Amino acid sequence: MKRFWLSLRTRGGLMLAGTVAVLGAVVLHLLSATSADVPTFAQGLPQLLLAGLVVVLLLMLLTGYQLLMLRRRLKQRVFGSRLTLRLVLLFSLVAVLPGALVYGVSVQFLARAVDTWFDVRVEKALDGGLALGRNVLDSMLKDLRGKADTMALLVSDRAPRQQLALLNMLREQAAVQEVALLDVNGTVLVFSGDEQSGLMPEPLSPSVLRELRMQKAYSGIMAQPSGGLLLRVAVPVSALGGELVALELVQRVPDQVSRNAEAVQFAHAEYQELAFSRSGLKQLYALTLTLALLLALFAALLLAIFFSQRLSAPLGVLAEGTRAVAQGDFSQRTPVRSYDEIGILTQSFNAMTRELAESQGETQRYQTQLESAKASLESILATLSAGVISLDGERRLRSVNPSASRILEIDLTTLVDVPVGRWSERDARLAALAAPLAAALAGPLEDDWQGQIAYAGSQRGLTLLARASTIRQAAPGGFVIVFDDITDLLNAQRQAAWGEVARRLAHEIKNPLTPIQLSAERLQQRLRHKLDTTDAEMLVRLTQTIINQVAALKGMVDAFSEYARTPETQLKPVDLSQLTREVLGLYEPIGPRMNLKLQPGLPSVLGDAVKLRQVIHNLLRNAEDAVGTVSEPRIILSIGADPTGGIALSVSDNGPGFPSDVIGRAFEPYVTTKPKGTGLGLAIVHKIVEEHHGRTRLENLAPSGARVTVILPPASAAAQVTSPSHRAANS
Amino acid sequence: MFAAFAMSVVALLWQISGPADAGEPAINVRSAELTASNDGYYLDASFEIDLGHTLEEALTKGVALNFVLDFSLIYERWYLLNLWNKTVANFEQRYRLTYNSLTRQYRIAAGTLTQNVDSLREALVVMGGVRNRFIVSRDEVDPEKPYTAELRLRLDTSQLPKPFQLDALGSKGWNLSSDWYRWTVRP
Repeated sequence: MKRFWLSLRTRGGLMLAGTVAVLGAVVLHLLSATSADVPTFAQGLPQLLLAGLVVVLLLMLLTGYQLLMLRRRLKQRVFGSRLTLRLVLLFSLVAVLPGALVYGVSVQFLARAVDTWFDVRVEKALDGGLALGRNVLDSMLKDLRGKADTMALLVSDRAPRQQLALLNMLREQAAVQEVALLDVNGTVLVFSGDEQSGLMPEPLSPSVLRELRMQKAYSGIMAQPSGGLLLRVAVPVSALGGELVALELVQRVPDQVSRNAEAVQFAHAEYQELAFSRSGLKQLYALTLTLALLLALFAALLLAIFFSQRLSAPLGVLAEGTRAVAQGDFSQRTPVRSYDEIGILTQSFNAMTRELAESQGETQRYQTQLESAKASLESILATLSAGVISLDGERRLRSVNPSASRILEIDLTTLVDVPVGRWSERDARLAALAAPLAAALAGPLEDDWQGQIAYAGSQRGLTLLARASTIRQAAPGGFVIVFDDITDLLNAQRQAAWGEVARRLAHEIKNPLTPIQLSAERLQQRLRHKLDTTDAEMLVRLTQTIINQVAALKGMVDAFSEYARTPETQLKPVDLSQLTREVLGLYEPIGPRMNLKLQPGLPSVLGDAVKLRQVIHNLLRNAEDAVGTVSEPRIILSIGADPTGGIALSVSDNGPGFPSDVIGRAFEPYVTTKPKGTGLGLAIVHKIVEEHHGRTRLENLAPSGARVTVILPPASAAAQVTSPSHRAANS
Repeated sequence: MFAAFAMSVVALLWQISGPADAGEPAINVRSAELTASNDGYYLDASFEIDLGHTLEEALTKGVALNFVLDFSLIYERWYLLNLWNKTVANFEQRYRLTYNSLTRQYRIAAGTLTQNVDSLREALVVMGGVRNRFIVSRDEVDPEKPYTAELRLRLDTSQLPKPFQLDALGSKGWNLSSDWYRWTVRP
């Protein structure tokens, strides 16, 4: 749009300049035409000069305006304006120098040429010619005068009545055109004329008549308006009555003579006029030339500016296009107007822009694909439960997925770009993972590396299975490490193994126990009566010991097999508070004091009431055992909402607490601190809680004591979690 | 160059508007009057024409001199300045004065009428005299009102050949004109 207006304005300006220049040319033409065939409106020289001046002023203003615009563009550093300036200067030089030269030469030449026109010999020849003409006419006049005198003598002694016939005859004889007799006032008395003359002779002027009255003859030449010369002679005649009359003779000068004489006269007059106007002529020519020079100069300047702009305009457009391309806009197409080199340049620029736009589109498409692929990969990694981290060739952390941070309970994203060897500086726990990794990745990895790592979680110890492999694609040789929390898996495996072992052992041990017991009882019954009292007493005591120990052994094996062969858990909504009260009812009267802290309005949990009762029972018994040696035993049982959303049941005591070497694996079977414990109490608790999808937590209290917490999911949440598997199990 | 040109033009224009000096060519109105007759009004006027040295020389060198006689009869209204002045009658008479060096005669041409005279003095008298020129008929003027008549005879320099026009721009010898001669006519 802007370009369109600009072009329109330049076009309009050019048209204006053209009109003004044409006007100037017309004025110049009129000025230089000195002949008479100039239209009447252009006669006035001052008006013409003024018109020329106005035209020159207009051109000057236009040129000045254009130069001002050019200067403004130069100041604004419009692309192409410097080229325009150079072109303008060049064109101006090309136009002005020859113009000025031609002007100077012309002025000089004209001044000399005008002077050389006026030659003394020509002047003399013309003067001579004129004099010759005059002489011829004079001699003809003299001749006519002689005829007039003769006629006057003849006429003077005739009566007026006879005069017409006489005059006719004399006219014929003398071969003159008109003969007339006039009185001294100019009134025609008698007139005789040939076929060419009019009815009456032309009247004599008062001065001639005055001369005639004074008896003086008149002779003169008349130029006829229709061309041709007439000789006229008037002589005084004394008529018969003494009255003074005048005889007038008119004779036509022969055409040949008069034509020649008039030609000489015309040339002479023209020459005289030219000679007389010499200085004016020179001035006029100089003025006209000056005007022409100024017109040509400013017109050339205007043209120079116009053409320079036209030449440099495509460059400006190209520059604009280049800027647009630099800013990433490939949509601009520069219109091709000319078919010269600039046009070709514009075309190739357009082709380049098109190709750029296409390749950029390609790149963008490719990038979009890449991004979507990356996004899908990231979402896969995010939903993956396993932790995935990648390292670059320098063993620096490059990327990490959310599961990795969750498993390790450390925000690994803060470790990006930190080499593996220095991870432990951030968090000492990471050393467990970083040290074997750093060792495994010290050199190039031939095969995949795999290792189990014991990691200290905030709630429990974790066992991680980590696998590192080289990223084949990446040039510097990066690594990807996948690790998973296999703690639960390991636990389950271990417990399954223990269960198997326990069942077999129980079976193997239990089998011989019954015969041993029966044999001991039989031995007692059979021999008691046959022995004396002391021996019998001893027998009874020993056999009883055997029986008791076998029974104890049986109990132990039963407990053992119970742990291994737990019945199917049946989950139903259970009010944990109610259940706890029931269990506490059994303990109330005996043993140490127990405090119950219940948070009111708790939701029920999903669980097996029998098993949960055993959990509470086991926990309470543990606590009771723990405080056996304490002077002021105190056991607190509290049930409340856990921050994680479950319901927490915790039993705390003020006993000695767990030894540090046990606390990590107190939930494992056969780990015990009690002199006569099976080591299965907490293991059973842990197992039952896991069957309920709950968690167990163990901690020592300050200054002494321990707390075991069981967190069970509420009935609503657990129902959602377990119902699918439950249904599957039922069906 | 251009500045010089412009300045010369300005100077020429200045000279044109400058006051006339004595001893230069001049035309003076000797007499002028409107005379009433039965059918209307007639103009009689006589001018004293002095061509001056330059113009006389030009004439004898063959330059044709064109004279213009302007006359108008105006009813002057007192209101609205003079914009609404009513011109009752006006005419413009052109004369062409030439010299024939062969016959040594001067010719005065007024329209189609020509008159040859032998001397310049005579020619100027002929040209400077207006006799019984009909101006306006009686019923076109209101006898109750005063009218203004104005008269002028001048040399028409625009009819001169251009070199002389250029000379005329610079010199008073070429500018010949009577002042407007005005008089009040009461019919």
